[in-house]
Amino acid sequence: MGKFDSAGEPDVSGAMSRDEVASVITALEPDQLIAAKEKHHLPRRRLTRTEIVLFWGLRIYLMFMVGVVVYQIWTGAR
Amino acid sequence: MKEQYTAPEPRSGIASRAASDRTAGDLAALGSAVVITHEDIDRAHDREQVSATRARRGFRPRLRLFWLLIGPGILVMLGENDGPSMLSYAATGARFGVGFFLPFVVLTFLMACVVQEMTVRLGAATHRGHAELIFDRFGPFWGWFSMVDLMVGNFLTLVTEFIAIRAGLGFFGVRPAVAVLSALLVLSVALMTHRYWTWERIILGAAIFNLVFVPVALLAHPNWGAVGRALVTWSPLPGGVTQETVLILLANIGATVTPWMLFFQQSAIADKGLTIRDIRMGRLDTALGAALATVAALATMLATAPLFLRHMTAANFEAAEFAQALQPLIGHWGAALFALGMFEAGMVAAITISTSSAYAFGEVARRPHSLNLPFREGKSFYLVLLVEAVAAAGLVLIPGIPLVYIVLLVNVIAVLAMPPALLFLYMLVNDREIMGELVSPMWANALALAVVIILVGAGLLFGVSVIAPNALAMLGGR
Repeated sequence: MGKFDSAGEPDVSGAMSRDEVASVITALEPDQLIAAKEKHHLPRRRLTRTEIVLFWGLRIYLMFMVGVVVYQIWTGAR
Repeated sequence: MKEQYTAPEPRSGIASRAASDRTAGDLAALGSAVVITHEDIDRAHDREQVSATRARRGFRPRLRLFWLLIGPGILVMLGENDGPSMLSYAATGARFGVGFFLPFVVLTFLMACVVQEMTVRLGAATHRGHAELIFDRFGPFWGWFSMVDLMVGNFLTLVTEFIAIRAGLGFFGVRPAVAVLSALLVLSVALMTHRYWTWERIILGAAIFNLVFVPVALLAHPNWGAVGRALVTWSPLPGGVTQETVLILLANIGATVTPWMLFFQQSAIADKGLTIRDIRMGRLDTALGAALATVAALATMLATAPLFLRHMTAANFEAAEFAQALQPLIGHWGAALFALGMFEAGMVAAITISTSSAYAFGEVARRPHSLNLPFREGKSFYLVLLVEAVAAAGLVLIPGIPLVYIVLLVNVIAVLAMPPALLFLYMLVNDREIMGELVSPMWANALALAVVIILVGAGLLFGVSVIAPNALAMLGGR
């Protein structure tokens, strides 16, 4: 069994012929294989100064949003 | 333990190279060291069919290629024509008749096309779902936030879908519990295929029934001259621009694209295995979906327009009440088709929305997430999907539950959740590190940005109007 067991999808290549394995690999792009996707996660994006400001704006908006939803539920409960 | 297959490092930009680029040496090096899962095998089988069809020339192979690649776009667009949306179109037709709102609905679907096209490119270029990209590129906080935000919104939306299902089947005298259980049974049977392709075809077959509103509209004998004039002149708008009109406009714009649509289409494209060579077909799929959804939406408005001519107040109608009100005008069969359409709208949306939740959960929690998975390998994926649907269905059956209030809360959460979702979408689709040459050209970016700003602005104004109903009047509305 391969490393990928931890994610819950077992390796079935043991039950396949070499040709079958090759045909699966040929049909898919390299990063379409589940094992490859698990191994290679995309790197974290380096944010520009503008994007950092934007994300702080989003955090503030998030607090506003939570407040609005809580207010809605509170008025609804009354 | 086997050594794991190491995929070649992605080229800069687009995350993968074509399978045909692989050298014999690459494959020989794999030998018995590769890890293959059931999901890989199913997806490879689908891709082999696409490659074989693409290699053939002529009209029929082109047509078959289109058949093989369509799905996510049509499902997302017809899924968005859900229970509450169809009720909203019906109420608009009954309140305003044939006029301004016909071309306006066409415009909203054009905006939806612009936004959803970005998810096609993202999914095909990265082979990853929307939640996974947010998690990877912007960090765990925003990844988990997006997922939780989506799941809460989806759960409440699912409640409204089951309300539509209950109301639609209620017209035929089906008891609420039986209606809701039947819907859950249909949802579960579709999942039992454990195959994305089969699941997609079953749901596509069901989604096409969204067009039952077309014969209903024909039975209402619309004045086609007036329909043509309305589409060209954007008039009449009975009552002029009032606070109520502005509210309906804002609600419609705000509901044009909802967060689940972004997550569902991108994840479905990754699950289907589309690649950058399929983007053109993915766009056609989205455009066809939008066209079909537009036809169904316009048909619903035309079907209820006779209620406007008879000055009937339908603002607070539910699905069954619309069908009953229409019965003297379009006959029993027409009314029955209308009720059946409401059931279908809720049913398809319930399936696609719960699936988008399951995809997002798997992508963020790093659990297997595919409709190609056998149940024992995708337990968390199928459980999230089923538990969310069962909980929403159960809520609808609780006596005395404030359903009208839940619908209101759904609207507020949906519009408030859109700014972060659209911001992430816009940043990801312009992320050259993952999109390479597939980032939007400047003109497309300007168009997309304009649509995003309109959607966010309209959504927020609608949200404010729900919380503070007098706020719009202070801004000058009548």
